[in-house]
Amino acid sequence: MSVVDLPKPNTEFPKLTVPNGLGTGPIPIAPYISQAWYEQERDRVFGRAWLCMGRVEQLPEADSFMVKEIEICGVIALITRDAKDQIRAFHNVCSHRANLVVHETSGKGSRFVCKYHNWAYRNTGDCIGVPDRANFFDLDMKKCGLTPIACETWEGWIFINLQKQPEVTLTEFLGNFGEAFRDAPAPAATQAFTVDVTSMRANWKVTIDAFCESYHVPVLHPSTLGDTFANDSNRYARPLSGNVRGAHRTMTTFGNPNYLPPESSLIERLAYSNIDTGNTLGANDAADMQALQNHPAINPNKVPNWATEICWLFPNFLIFYSPGGFFTLEFWPLSVNTTRWVARMHTPVAADVRQRFQQEHYSCRMAEIFLEDVGNLERQQKAMESGGKSEIILQDGEFLLRHSIETIQKWVASATVREALAE
Amino acid sequence: MRMQTSLPASLPNSLPAGFEALEPFVDYWAGATNDIRWDRRARASMAEIRSFYEAAVPRADEGLAYLEQFPLAAMPDDATRLLRLLLSLPHAAMAVEFHGQPRAAASPFPHGMHIGRGPWPQGW
Repeated sequence: MSVVDLPKPNTEFPKLTVPNGLGTGPIPIAPYISQAWYEQERDRVFGRAWLCMGRVEQLPEADSFMVKEIEICGVIALITRDAKDQIRAFHNVCSHRANLVVHETSGKGSRFVCKYHNWAYRNTGDCIGVPDRANFFDLDMKKCGLTPIACETWEGWIFINLQKQPEVTLTEFLGNFGEAFRDAPAPAATQAFTVDVTSMRANWKVTIDAFCESYHVPVLHPSTLGDTFANDSNRYARPLSGNVRGAHRTMTTFGNPNYLPPESSLIERLAYSNIDTGNTLGANDAADMQALQNHPAINPNKVPNWATEICWLFPNFLIFYSPGGFFTLEFWPLSVNTTRWVARMHTPVAADVRQRFQQEHYSCRMAEIFLEDVGNLERQQKAMESGGKSEIILQDGEFLLRHSIETIQKWVASATVREALAE
Repeated sequence: MRMQTSLPASLPNSLPAGFEALEPFVDYWAGATNDIRWDRRARASMAEIRSFYEAAVPRADEGLAYLEQFPLAAMPDDATRLLRLLLSLPHAAMAVEFHGQPRAAASPFPHGMHIGRGPWPQGW
């Protein structure tokens, strides 16, 4: 990758906060530590927003299923793909005595049998078997199906909505984001290496915020990432572009085009010696990279030295497009100060042992970076809860965080979803 | 897809011929999954990590060249063992080339983070 017209230090980076219509004042800490606020988020944000569950490729064939838990709302969603490839979601709860039906987290099966009394269901939700049915009282099996959850897909992404009757369609919810990212490629979507954090002690917003600003990167990740996300032309890793898109938001981060593994990094050099993208933070091939780069919303200003396009789907789902492919991060609140999260890094099936070696290095580096974040965020949560401060201060490059909290505040305050989505 | 995670415990000559010098490292460093390889490195001392790194780095390119003769998803056991051993080098490199210590500064250990699936085709 060649060096082309690098922005000059501190003068030519776009302003993001004010042009996107956001405020500039401090942000209250209460939403990150307050139990009452957490309950408002449960009811008004997670209880009403369309929630991204992942990609259709996670249901790879007819009769695939997966179970996704939305702990904050106490919901266990069973998501199925039937023989006609229709994707549906249900509460994973038996109609008889309300036991859990499916115990696995994913698998294949056209019918599900509750292990308590053998009530059976098709993956369309229909109840198809009740042992000793004659001993019930006027049992209408047509009314004994699994309880559906609203489920729609957009561009290969699966969403559910926990409102019994969603106030807005998925298309309305996605708004400008959905239009801008139509036809975005999803290379290597059929497989991922995954990083799971079953529980860490930080509010979900504290956690997701850390993945949505690059200001911290040179400081917190100096050896794992620092030289790749900043250089003398951009010492503080300022973003290259950013857009508020309805309830959602996107930002292009800077990549150092001059980064090369140092001479002493023998294994890093060996790992990246034969990849054709010139990118040390990814694993895809040049053709995939070009398809991503050609999309009008990914790195919209077509700046050569970009590292990632961060797409933050309100409230809790991130898609990172990078020259190395795409990956997702999802953050699920367990309580006001604990969070579960999952990273899915989509990389191609290695064609040879050298590519497999490079992918191991990539996975190591990503896990290492994530672990640096975990330690940092648990400290931040503790400090926030100490009462030493009542507000935080955000700079221009942290505008995604500001739009996130402003949007959450708006959803909490709004009586209806349509009101929350109004410009 | 079923993960191949168990191989016979290392035997004499458990690595392909020519790689006998790396045999002492097999038990600890040829971990079956990405998550195990990461955990083993995180638990090792810097001296142990350096000892493995310095012994294996000079053989890494030759080892990868040897493994290129097999399909990735269908290697003989001794080759799989060599592959797993070599795949621990990127983990060791995090300590040697990035941190200068076994784990990143101020990162928690133990911790609740795990690699659920490793890179493909193996998923380990």
